[in-house]
Amino acid sequence: MRKLGAIFLATALTLGLAACGGDSGGGQELSDGPVTLRFTWWGSDARHQRTQQVIDLFQKEHPNITVKGEFKDWNGYWESLATTVAANDAPDVIQVDELYLASYAERGALLDLGTATKHLKTADFDAEALATGQVDGKQYALPVGLAAYSMVVNTDLLARYKVTPPDDGSWTWDDLKRIGEQISTASGGKVTGVQAFGFDAGSLNVWARQNGTSLYDDKGNVAIPPAVLAGFWSYLLDLTKSGAAPEASVTIERASASLDQSGTATNASAFGTWWNTQLTSLSAASGAKLRLLKMPGEAGARSPGAYYKPSMFWSVSSRSKHQAEAALFVDFLANDEAAANVLLTDRGVPANTKIRAAITPRLADTDKAAVAYLDTLEVGQAPRVTPNGASGIEAILKRHTEEVLFGRATPDQAAAAFIKELQAEIDGA
Amino acid sequence: MSALGELRSIRGSTRGSPRKRDNRAALVFLLPWFGGLFLITLGPVAASLVLGFTDYNLIQPPEFNGVDNFTRMLSDERLHNALRVTFVYVVVSVPVQLACALGLAMLLDRGLRGMAFYRSAFYLPSLLGSSVAIAVLWRQVFGADGLVNQLLDLVGVQGRGWISDPSTALSTLIVLNVWTFGAPMIIFLAGLRQIPVMYYEAAAIDGAGRWKQFWRVTLPLLSPIIFFNLVLQIIHAFQSFTQAFVVSGGSGGPSDSTLFYTLYLYQRGFNNFDMGYASALAWLLLVIIAAFTAVNFWAAKYWVFYDD
Repeated sequence: MRKLGAIFLATALTLGLAACGGDSGGGQELSDGPVTLRFTWWGSDARHQRTQQVIDLFQKEHPNITVKGEFKDWNGYWESLATTVAANDAPDVIQVDELYLASYAERGALLDLGTATKHLKTADFDAEALATGQVDGKQYALPVGLAAYSMVVNTDLLARYKVTPPDDGSWTWDDLKRIGEQISTASGGKVTGVQAFGFDAGSLNVWARQNGTSLYDDKGNVAIPPAVLAGFWSYLLDLTKSGAAPEASVTIERASASLDQSGTATNASAFGTWWNTQLTSLSAASGAKLRLLKMPGEAGARSPGAYYKPSMFWSVSSRSKHQAEAALFVDFLANDEAAANVLLTDRGVPANTKIRAAITPRLADTDKAAVAYLDTLEVGQAPRVTPNGASGIEAILKRHTEEVLFGRATPDQAAAAFIKELQAEIDGA
Repeated sequence: MSALGELRSIRGSTRGSPRKRDNRAALVFLLPWFGGLFLITLGPVAASLVLGFTDYNLIQPPEFNGVDNFTRMLSDERLHNALRVTFVYVVVSVPVQLACALGLAMLLDRGLRGMAFYRSAFYLPSLLGSSVAIAVLWRQVFGADGLVNQLLDLVGVQGRGWISDPSTALSTLIVLNVWTFGAPMIIFLAGLRQIPVMYYEAAAIDGAGRWKQFWRVTLPLLSPIIFFNLVLQIIHAFQSFTQAFVVSGGSGGPSDSTLFYTLYLYQRGFNNFDMGYASALAWLLLVIIAAFTAVNFWAAKYWVFYDD
């Protein structure tokens, strides 16, 4: 009930305020007087602490600028950002995810960072990395770190059940299923071979790309053929039915829990799909020896499934009153070595190549493994940025995966429904 | 001067300035409430009515689109599912909840020792039931390794992930709602106290047993209270949000089995940048609740008995 009240309040506020939006500008001249910047991000406690340290460093260098951090959990971050933007009260510096980049950029909520080059330097970024932050040719966001999809394997569990680790240079999806079944059988079901995926865009992207297609075409329409999508779900269903993956309700429960409660972190599954940069958190939670493997099927794939995903971006609100200072702060976050030494790989392996080289000696072993994985991976061209309107793709994907795993829809039905629904969201935006 | 005239003159005198001053004072005291009513309630309500006829993505200014939002509802399958889920939730949980509340109220009405304690103990869930903490607790209790499954394990029954299985997820939310029967129970308890003992005595003398007394005395005399609770709880159940939001992690899952109407509205508005449609949905909900309440009042003529 209180939430509903909040909805009404928000709508009223926005009705009043949306009209008086417009560009408040701010220019690219730094102010001499005191300036307060608001900076919002999502993340874990460890990230909040590191980020606050970086803020302190920045404030020491620029005594007239105060940076106020507003941090949240991923759940709730986007709802809250949407309302603050709607209320014309957006934070000046915003941490943005690839899923939402186009939705905000195409609606004019983000500043074209190309207009802020006086204070924000991007020379140490690869052109390809920079391109991931562009929408319609404009640099609306600066990639912070890079990540790649990977299969995390618990080698301790493999040793316990006497299963030989696969060769990730040549393994196939059938190998994964076969090995997964071996583990489930050997453990008597206490440990399942594979933690089922199908809840994040990463797994679907890899699957589509290995099949020579992609989730979206260049224009931003859904392009994945229904047969490929149905194959994705058939495989998941096979994993579940054969016992390689846990039964559906356990899978669903783990999928909506936090990283710490996942099958990988609790040593309840030997294989799990993750972004390579999550290796450190997973290792800390599980206490077991974890390794990053290339995704199955890469060797025989029609095109490489692997790609660099920008882990997140820095953006500046288009309505910020302090665009110059905001750009200066983003420059500090992206290019300053002292800041990088605090942040390390918490937000992904730095996309800034100079910074990446500078911090590598300081990294823990698991972080070094994550960097090494990224460096040795053969990647294809990055997929198109998630189109405006499709930000909710993971919720749609999750729902249809649930339908399939619980036998409420066949893979073919789910594929048709998924494509129709996602396209409708894109068309409606 | 007759006594009546005297009385009139006394009343006349009080109608003078002091009362006017009282009225003015009352208005001053009411001002904060009026402020809240107009700024926080009526203003936004009016705004959402206007937004219901627009395409509004929260970031760009709203664009008028006529009745598009309402025609879109006709073919919105997730909305139809949300309506189905919400109806099931209301139709099942409210009667069960009221029955539990009435049953316990009658037990407590028999003057147990330590009654104040029991009353508070049974009321407690009502205070907590719609809170986030309890919803989180519910996740734990009905999870695959939760309390319920551990208890079932003791008696040798294989449990399941109650909240992660679409065929049982909604039931756990219904149980949660039933569990918060404290508020209607307190009202029932007050109502039972109002029934004069002599009716029961008379019925007993006429040879009516306990059942008969319940059907012929308690229920008819309590029917206005039942009606009151029914209307209130139905409205309350239609507006349920927190439980489903927390238990399903905001998704209404698994596979939309706990997608309450308000949750769908929230998703459209805040997750899908679809605030115009969400506003229209809010108004549809208002119409649905109003219709249910109207039907309730109409039906009340046939079963509610006013003893006056």
